[in-house]
Amino acid sequence: MKKATMLALGTTAAMLALSACGASGGKDAAPGGASDSGSNGGSAPSIKLTLEDRLLETSTEGAVIAHRKMIDEFKKEHPNVEISEESLQDATYKTKIKTLAAGNDMPDVFELLGSDAQMFVDNKLIMPLDDIMNQDSEWKKGFIPSTLKDFTVNGVLAGAPMQMLSTSLIFYNKDIFDKVGITEFPKTWKEFTDAIDTLKAKGYTPISLGNKDKWVAESSILSELGDRFTGTDWFNSIKNNQGAKFTDKPFVDALTALQSLSKMGAFNSDLNSIDNSQQRTAFYNGKAAMFFEGDWAISSLSSEAPQEIKDATHLAILPSVEGGAGKANVVSGGAAWAFAINANLKGDKLQAAIDLVKKLTGVEEANAAAENNAVAATIPTDYDKSKVVPLFNEYLEMFKNLEQSPIYDGQLSPAVIETMNNGLQDLLIQRITPEQLAKDIQSTYEGS
Amino acid sequence: MGKKLPNPRWTTIYGFMLPGILVYLFIVIVPLALSIHFSFYKWSGGLSKDFIGFHNYSQLLQDAKFWFSFRNNMIITLLSIIGQLGIAFVLAVILQAKWVKLRELHRTVLFLPVVLPAVVVGFIWNLIYSQNYGILNSLLKGLHLADWIRPWLDDPKIVIYSVTIPIIWQWIGLYLIIFMASIQSIPGEIYEGAEIDGATGFKKVIYITLPMMYDTLRVAIMLCIAGNMKIFDNIFVMTGGGPGNSSTVMAQYAYNTSFGKFQLGYGSAISIGMIVLSLGLILLSRRLMGGRSLES
Repeated sequence: MKKATMLALGTTAAMLALSACGASGGKDAAPGGASDSGSNGGSAPSIKLTLEDRLLETSTEGAVIAHRKMIDEFKKEHPNVEISEESLQDATYKTKIKTLAAGNDMPDVFELLGSDAQMFVDNKLIMPLDDIMNQDSEWKKGFIPSTLKDFTVNGVLAGAPMQMLSTSLIFYNKDIFDKVGITEFPKTWKEFTDAIDTLKAKGYTPISLGNKDKWVAESSILSELGDRFTGTDWFNSIKNNQGAKFTDKPFVDALTALQSLSKMGAFNSDLNSIDNSQQRTAFYNGKAAMFFEGDWAISSLSSEAPQEIKDATHLAILPSVEGGAGKANVVSGGAAWAFAINANLKGDKLQAAIDLVKKLTGVEEANAAAENNAVAATIPTDYDKSKVVPLFNEYLEMFKNLEQSPIYDGQLSPAVIETMNNGLQDLLIQRITPEQLAKDIQSTYEGS
Repeated sequence: MGKKLPNPRWTTIYGFMLPGILVYLFIVIVPLALSIHFSFYKWSGGLSKDFIGFHNYSQLLQDAKFWFSFRNNMIITLLSIIGQLGIAFVLAVILQAKWVKLRELHRTVLFLPVVLPAVVVGFIWNLIYSQNYGILNSLLKGLHLADWIRPWLDDPKIVIYSVTIPIIWQWIGLYLIIFMASIQSIPGEIYEGAEIDGATGFKKVIYITLPMMYDTLRVAIMLCIAGNMKIFDNIFVMTGGGPGNSSTVMAQYAYNTSFGKFQLGYGSAISIGMIVLSLGLILLSRRLMGGRSLES
């Protein structure tokens, strides 16, 4: 019996080892063919890099596909570097990277969320990239300037931005709008609420919302709605501790406006128990007229939705609000995520890590992203426009006339975001007043 | 029977125990000690920590959210003791009866949920509760009970009961097996004697089965309390603790505080609070159930 167990264990271990080799070997060899790996595989890799990311091989998101391609190319170009990579789901990744940070055991290269940047820099876990980037002006010039600003904390550049997101776009079904007699997407808040009433009266769910994971209401609605009321100056004052408060009237007004949407029945009633991919299901079925999500949903929608829904879907942003301090052509967005390098790296290893980050954020990546309907943090120069879906072209066209406002969970501290996200679930089912929620967020803000 | 028992030297005894002790030390004792250590700091991960003494604990005592999550744990535990142990006991008695056919099959089917991962259970019940596509709501519609349809996981007043039902469902099988084993160890002669005295089925259960398995029941209650005080995964999958905090339990509150708000010191204090409260409840249950040792 014992022997059998030992044997089983031994076999399992051997199989694991074999499969690990097989996987990495296969990946290396696949793009260039077997002979390729033979020609440059003469010496064993001398540099080992650990990479921690959210770039799942199964993902249909354009940005991920582009980054995966870059990693494969990097491996081919650098046979002396061995990358041991771990890719995780978004939520799991956020937990894992914080746990690693708590243990002061960061991977060599990893994805950095904007709101964690301050904390990681304070704890000296991140290699500042300013000097490195200044040495390669070509690389630095490629970035959309605002993305670099997103990752500058305490005057230090914490990471190389990996994308340019808009987090709160309205995807709407024009067929449904036409059918109920709304010919143009609402331009003012009054028209918007009227449209919701009309849609509701005709039996449609006006806005499909899946806020189970708690970020959708905040990142994809409130970040933009808040800015319409408060203006971006207020947010900057909050971020830099210059006196603005969450209890200020404009922010409370934004919360009130959001709650009034749920009061008038703009959302489905199970909004707190379904998630963002389920919110799209109602839209794909033609039962819902709108949903709020960022530009990452464009590529997902283009691969998942039935053809007639794809054809009818168009993009819009929130209408202007009366008396609000914010501009009407502003969409919440930014880089949100960047690639960062471990502060402890030195010598060849550091150089390899820098090369990898350059590869992942350079202009090649931007071109690959564009072909897959995603916007990188770097401006694409040359890509095959025929590969792009019409909705993405519509987005790019719209994007030219838009300005960016900060994404709350890309920039505020984790404690504030946690309180805000939990509170928004309560706010949307009328369990807490806007004033009370504003007070809660403010007290977390002061405490952290 | 008269064979002499081996009498090994203490070095041999401890030598064999060493691997177990080491594993236990590194996965239980060391993290626990570290947690206690961290709970005296204001710490957001990384290198810088501020020692703040008992401040985290005094904050914990006044933390309404913590006590609310403790209340949720208590509700789940009480319902589980009634639901899991009660149903398991009734089923164990029924499966013991002579007229039951396919005993093995029933037992296996009832035990199946126990071996499912909690995350899977969470997803299954998510589908059952789903508003538009859920089997529960279509069942209610089919039975002409459409007024009973509720937003099962969206209404803060009932959500804690909605998430408890899957927990009860999952663990009935475990207690069923424990109880069946216990009932089978009751000597048949006692029942035969009682039958001669004219005891009927129900009386046999009350006067023989229950008292004879009293100790098993105590252990089961302890297991039930310990299990439900640390409950986390199914609720996390089903509601994520929402809406708001309505279905947040202590373990999730500790998790949210540590890895959501990144207050690792305070998160550790919450975990220690959890341990203290769980131990307190287990001791209390032992006191209430009588202080006899398990062997007697």
